[in-house]
Amino acid sequence: MGWDPAELPKRTLDDRVSRLQAAMKRSTLDAFLLYTNLVRPSAVCWLTGFTPYWIESILLVAPNGAPILATALSKRVSEWIRATSQVDEIINTPKPGTAIGQRLAADGAKRVGVLELDALPAGLYDDLVSAAPNAELIDATALFAAERRVVDEPERKLILRADALALAALDQVNAAEVKDAGALAGLVERHARLGGAEEAYIAIAPDLAADRRLIRISKPVPLAERFAVRASIAYKGCWVRRTRTFAKDDVGQRAIARADHWLNQFTRSIGADKPLASQIVAQSKNLPCAELKSWMAESCVGSYPLEAIASSPSPGKETVIEGSFLVLALDLTVEGVPWLGAAPAFVGGRSL
Amino acid sequence: MQTQYQPMIHDDRKRRLVGAMSESGIDMLLIYGNAWQSDYLRYTTDYSIVEGQALALVRGDGHVTLYLDSPLEVDRAQLECPAVEVVHAPNLVGEVDTVLDRFRNQRLGAAPYRLLPRRLAARAKDLQLADQTAFLDRLLMRKLDSEIAAMRRAAKLCDEGYAVFRAAARPGRADYELIAEIEAFFRANGVDHNFQIIGVGGPEVRGMAPPSGKRLKRGDMVTTELTPCVDGYYAQICRTLVVGAPSAEQKAAHALWRESMEAGIAVVRDGVTAADIARAENDIFRQHGLGKYTTSEYTRVRGHGLGLFVDTKPHILEDVTTRIDAGMTLVVHPNTYHPVVGYLVLGDAVVVTQDGCELLTGTPRELFSVAA
Repeated sequence: MGWDPAELPKRTLDDRVSRLQAAMKRSTLDAFLLYTNLVRPSAVCWLTGFTPYWIESILLVAPNGAPILATALSKRVSEWIRATSQVDEIINTPKPGTAIGQRLAADGAKRVGVLELDALPAGLYDDLVSAAPNAELIDATALFAAERRVVDEPERKLILRADALALAALDQVNAAEVKDAGALAGLVERHARLGGAEEAYIAIAPDLAADRRLIRISKPVPLAERFAVRASIAYKGCWVRRTRTFAKDDVGQRAIARADHWLNQFTRSIGADKPLASQIVAQSKNLPCAELKSWMAESCVGSYPLEAIASSPSPGKETVIEGSFLVLALDLTVEGVPWLGAAPAFVGGRSL
Repeated sequence: MQTQYQPMIHDDRKRRLVGAMSESGIDMLLIYGNAWQSDYLRYTTDYSIVEGQALALVRGDGHVTLYLDSPLEVDRAQLECPAVEVVHAPNLVGEVDTVLDRFRNQRLGAAPYRLLPRRLAARAKDLQLADQTAFLDRLLMRKLDSEIAAMRRAAKLCDEGYAVFRAAARPGRADYELIAEIEAFFRANGVDHNFQIIGVGGPEVRGMAPPSGKRLKRGDMVTTELTPCVDGYYAQICRTLVVGAPSAEQKAAHALWRESMEAGIAVVRDGVTAADIARAENDIFRQHGLGKYTTSEYTRVRGHGLGLFVDTKPHILEDVTTRIDAGMTLVVHPNTYHPVVGYLVLGDAVVVTQDGCELLTGTPRELFSVAA
């Protein structure tokens, strides 16, 4: 989608780059590299607004000045990159690793931080180190995450917009009428995209009594009495997930309504004072006749749009960070009714 | 629960893969995949990943272990690929790195090698890990009958999808609204994923990209490349429509594109090279004094392979000497910029046969128009 300075001001992007540059200086890094592709777009998007739809790119952040994007996208696509993001210098090259390596060598960069160094594609990495043999590449994933975690106001508004698209799309589901999961996936995706969603992954558990796992469905599959739909929605590079459970029967509808209300209240109350796991366990006790089966919290801390940061199998002991963003997904049984729910939340009382 | 498991195609591929590994003396393959490039992964595991990244270990006896870093993908993989051992690996690279220690002294291959996480590639000598991308490319390019049958199904949905696209196009609509209509149709009709780019406007448009919010207006050319995926296989159609009546210049340009595409398709048969097809397309442009618009400044490729990846090998370019074999599936598309009317596209999908090709695309090769 086209870049809108009212949604994502240039000064916000400049502030984010400055924060990273300050952290680089504290760690005596001469440069910072961030890889991006269709699947791992979020770190570069956070700094520039750029989300690739094809092939791979790498962003170079020097200690001073604007970032440089080297991309395997052709020169013809630069116009689109400039229309959808804020990148001052674009290098179009079939070998982005070589181009950035040459720049590092020319700048005499010695200590170079890399986001998710181990996962860099081998071809790009080989090109990079061949062109910059004197640069020491250092994994700086934690450094980036520390700067990334707290959400600024423009990002908060973009997340709210994505969430509004997800909610509106899920509101299209009429449990009494809909019969086919494939058609339902199309209905939800259509509504999200008509609202401006850049991407929409719709997953459905068509029969919660048989299986609670949510899967991608694009063929006729009958919907049972109780089913769940997850909408993963992107707007201007910001992703949310919403999962809702639906029932055709009165008992199911009542239990679902109670659990939905509980989730809504809970996501507004997540604080930075206690580990998330203990907050979830404590809050689930406030929902009568409910059994917590599993949970997962996701956030955007690196190149993935959303990645698990804690879950029932790996709850962790750390508290969540004030001002950070989470998507909380829960699997409960409420009064004997299976219920899946997921909703975004801002830690520390700033409600959605 | 009904899943989308397609055992016949996968069983065919598996037999072929196991046989080829045995012939080539490969004990195990290390395969990387993500949603952008998932063809090697799909071929060997039958799994198409959406979020996160995957690594798979494929043994010579056909046993597959699939490592996924996204717990959401683990749920789906377990349902869609019951014959595969699925492992949730939050630290994907680290966990597979450790597992690989168990396979020292075996002949290991990896694909696609360029995309392999660098930490694993760094162990190439230690593990006798060889680049086997070309080995798998051969399997990916030349299709089995069951694979071609899936391509035919995907091509039919290209035609149906383009009809939906035309019906959705009208003045005032945003480009993303057209995509919304298509995706809804596809989700309800067996298409797991669709790669689609679009261009809207006139001479200022130099290519196609994801929608940017541009609204259609009278006189605009609307180009699109529609690439639905059915049972893992992508077919593609490229067409152009005009909002309102096409101008004489637009009609003339489209006639040239059609002549070029048909010249390219006429050359396709077993034994020619990718360069032969590209040259046939480009000669038409050169004959009309538009040769410079066949260069990389204006166009990427003159077509490409189709299959488990949107843009599989071979690329149809004058410097690509890959032999074209019967059983390959291609899209021939002389998509490029025209100095008067802007970026224009036209492309049909084909299956290569001994004597020529089978046309998969059924949509007429017209410059379509919609009421302004």
